Amino acid sequence: MRNELTEYHYDWRFWSILDNANKLFDATEKEFKSTMAYTPTFRATTEKLSTTGKAGQRLVKATARYFENILTARSRGKKIGLITYNFSPAVLFAFDVVPYCLEGMSAFYAAAWNRGIYESLDYCCEVGFTETSCSGQRVALGPVLAGLAERPDFIVCSTPGVCDSNANAFAFASAYLDVPFCQLNYPPTLTDERAVEYHRADFRNMLSFLEEQTGKKVDVDKMREVCEEIVKQDEIICEIQDYQRLVPCPVPGIFNLFIYDIKVLFSGIKDGTDILEAMLEIVKDNAERGVAGDGVERLRGFFYYIDHYCIQMKYWRWLEKNGISHIGTMMTDFWQANAPYARGREEEGYRMDLSSLDSMIDSLAAQSSRMPMVKQIRGPYDAPHMWLDDTVGVANLMKADFLAFMGTMGCRNTWSMVKLITRDMEKLGYPALILYADSFDNRIEPVDTFLGKIDEFLRVRDIRGWKGAVWK
Amino acid sequence: MREEIREAVAVLANRYVMKWKGGGGRIVGYPCSYMPVEVIAAAGMLPFRLRAMEVVSTSIGSSYYGPVVCSFPKCILQIAGERKYAFLDGAVVCNGCDTMRRLDDCWRKAGDDMPGILPSYFAHFAVPHKVTDYSVKWFAGEIRKLIDSLEKHFGVTISDDKLKKAITEYNRSRTLLGDIDAMRSGPDAFLSGTDAMAIFIAGTAMPAADFNALMEDILGGLKKKKKKDALPGRRLLLAGSVIDDIDLFRTIEEAGAVIVADTVCFGSKDRTDLVREDGDPVTALAGRYLGSVKCPRMFGDYKRRFAFLKELAEKTGAEGVILQNIRFCDLHGSENGIFERDLEAAGIPCLRMEREYGPLGDEGRVRMRIDALLERIGAAGGGSRRALSADRSR
Repeated sequence: MRNELTEYHYDWRFWSILDNANKLFDATEKEFKSTMAYTPTFRATTEKLSTTGKAGQRLVKATARYFENILTARSRGKKIGLITYNFSPAVLFAFDVVPYCLEGMSAFYAAAWNRGIYESLDYCCEVGFTETSCSGQRVALGPVLAGLAERPDFIVCSTPGVCDSNANAFAFASAYLDVPFCQLNYPPTLTDERAVEYHRADFRNMLSFLEEQTGKKVDVDKMREVCEEIVKQDEIICEIQDYQRLVPCPVPGIFNLFIYDIKVLFSGIKDGTDILEAMLEIVKDNAERGVAGDGVERLRGFFYYIDHYCIQMKYWRWLEKNGISHIGTMMTDFWQANAPYARGREEEGYRMDLSSLDSMIDSLAAQSSRMPMVKQIRGPYDAPHMWLDDTVGVANLMKADFLAFMGTMGCRNTWSMVKLITRDMEKLGYPALILYADSFDNRIEPVDTFLGKIDEFLRVRDIRGWKGAVWK
Repeated sequence: MREEIREAVAVLANRYVMKWKGGGGRIVGYPCSYMPVEVIAAAGMLPFRLRAMEVVSTSIGSSYYGPVVCSFPKCILQIAGERKYAFLDGAVVCNGCDTMRRLDDCWRKAGDDMPGILPSYFAHFAVPHKVTDYSVKWFAGEIRKLIDSLEKHFGVTISDDKLKKAITEYNRSRTLLGDIDAMRSGPDAFLSGTDAMAIFIAGTAMPAADFNALMEDILGGLKKKKKKDALPGRRLLLAGSVIDDIDLFRTIEEAGAVIVADTVCFGSKDRTDLVREDGDPVTALAGRYLGSVKCPRMFGDYKRRFAFLKELAEKTGAEGVILQNIRFCDLHGSENGIFERDLEAAGIPCLRMEREYGPLGDEGRVRMRIDALLERIGAAGGGSRRALSADRSR
């Protein structure tokens, strides 16, 4: 890692970016523009977020607070739990633990910082982690391993049985830093009795771990508080996703990112609910006016794995500029039983039952077992309730014109089956494209290259008479 | 090396396999150390560990798998696609790692395109990633599911008595494997790592009874060896990803080393741990396989594996450790990174090396790196380099 990059604490650096960005939302237009001239590396990201009005402002504010909580955790006597994005932080909030979501940080670093992320990616390899590992963890793990970010007190990881690459990064961090590790391990099925029993036992085992680490017992009132907030958040998310079915789609593409940001960073706390309320307001307004969330809708794209976050969110800006409605990813589907894609498949979804502590724990266990990826890629891709089922369901429901896959080069699981699902989707009549871009590492396939491939694909396949993308 | 062992290592349809088939026996393939082979044996069938050393291309494997995955399962699919696994009556794929578990998906889909390459019995078998009371219970349930499905498909009965008999037979194999393993460790290593590995691999491709008889015979000869017969060379331990290529062992040993221990799949690492012979056999199998097999897929268990590796190095007199992984095997690759840190801190020199699965195609590179490790060990401790000098004079 270059010396100059070791001068600053990463968490502090990004908290200061967010804190300042937050202040900018209250600035005059002239002040905003003038300040942007001095922020070349995250100007476009800030501008993009500013176009979403109150929702973007609340997201930035909440994210700044997320970082602030991490930075001040020690002085407030709180523990920091390093978690993966496939794990709902709600239970940590109930234990008064400060969550530190590695991939959430990675996405943010990738979006906000053009250069420095490569050093943090590579730092992991300098200390022994493989270069072929998933970039989703490596971007933010580098500073943690280098001692340039807050040191976690313990790790909770929910991907064993789901994603080796992800789980391995957390296991590596635990071994490297000598930090206690707890895993939620998932069987390959979802709804049968053995699986449900396992989910519940495993979740309770994790609660015992949290009790041990924090020295606190499960607090029923706090548990109820976060569960109530989850219920509110889920209702809004489901409503937004119901609106997403409309043609034109009234949901701005970037709101997909907001939805999973909220579920992985702010699940169960008011910050998340506030952002969602602002989002719903915008979506409703668009729907009433019959306009697309991003202005004009030329095509509807379903991204059947994850999105791209590098180079100031150029991918999101390009989709918007070209009138391609982003109608979801695997990351946006959390499988609430009342989600639009769960209609007729309710048994695959989770319900929050707040009637007792036990029922709340079971509900959270069910929620955890339906997190993105945790639900879809735990078993054979074409088994009931898995990736193919969900992709077909959402592509149909959301009226996708085309599908595109993109992930990370470290994703052994999806790279071992993406050709199969893509072929199946093509057979079902959906033009489907496999992209070799890496969501967090722009060096793998630069953003302009893969966007060019999407453009070429749409043109060659003549999807809704696509005549070519706008680039300027 | 005995001819029958050489053949079992090099040829998938070896003489034992053909004899078994010739006698009307059925064969079920499996790809991972977590497979309780006793279940297959108790069904009166031959468990055969899937390998792909005859591979010369990955044109079929790469048609189903993506580009950035481990070459081992890809090569197994290739071999299946080339119909070299036509002798299999069944296959059970387990989730040893993500790429391996997708062999289930890829093989099935390849089977749709190439009729006849998918064995008539094909099952997915899941293994938890942690050892707790409920995960062992769940795993026992998974073993029972496998028993049921084998019984239904093949019309056989897998009784507790049959399971216990199979456990006893395989425990005998484990004890003998332990004795063979002892013959290649320490200063009085009478058996080269290459020959030991060949025996271990052969054991995965023949009936346990034949294998036990073969090992007893080999051990009879080895026990007659005298101190003067001890093999010269630097003592090394080989760890990391799956290896079934004895040429890699040979290359290392020809450079002036003796591989006195290993922790690789197909090797001896956890094949010597016995299954309890009392109580419920399924629970005993679940406990043994989940608790004994040492693989980084059991996330968060680094300390136990490091302690095992360090103790093994000390016990066998290993002067250095080779930590290798197949490219894209991040589980072993990254654990090797921490092993290297901690072993070096304990004064044990290490070499980290990435490779591809399949016939050793980059022998020169491997040789150079082994030379460097041996030079380092030599510089630290001095001593004879007989084999290395002899090799260089060729």
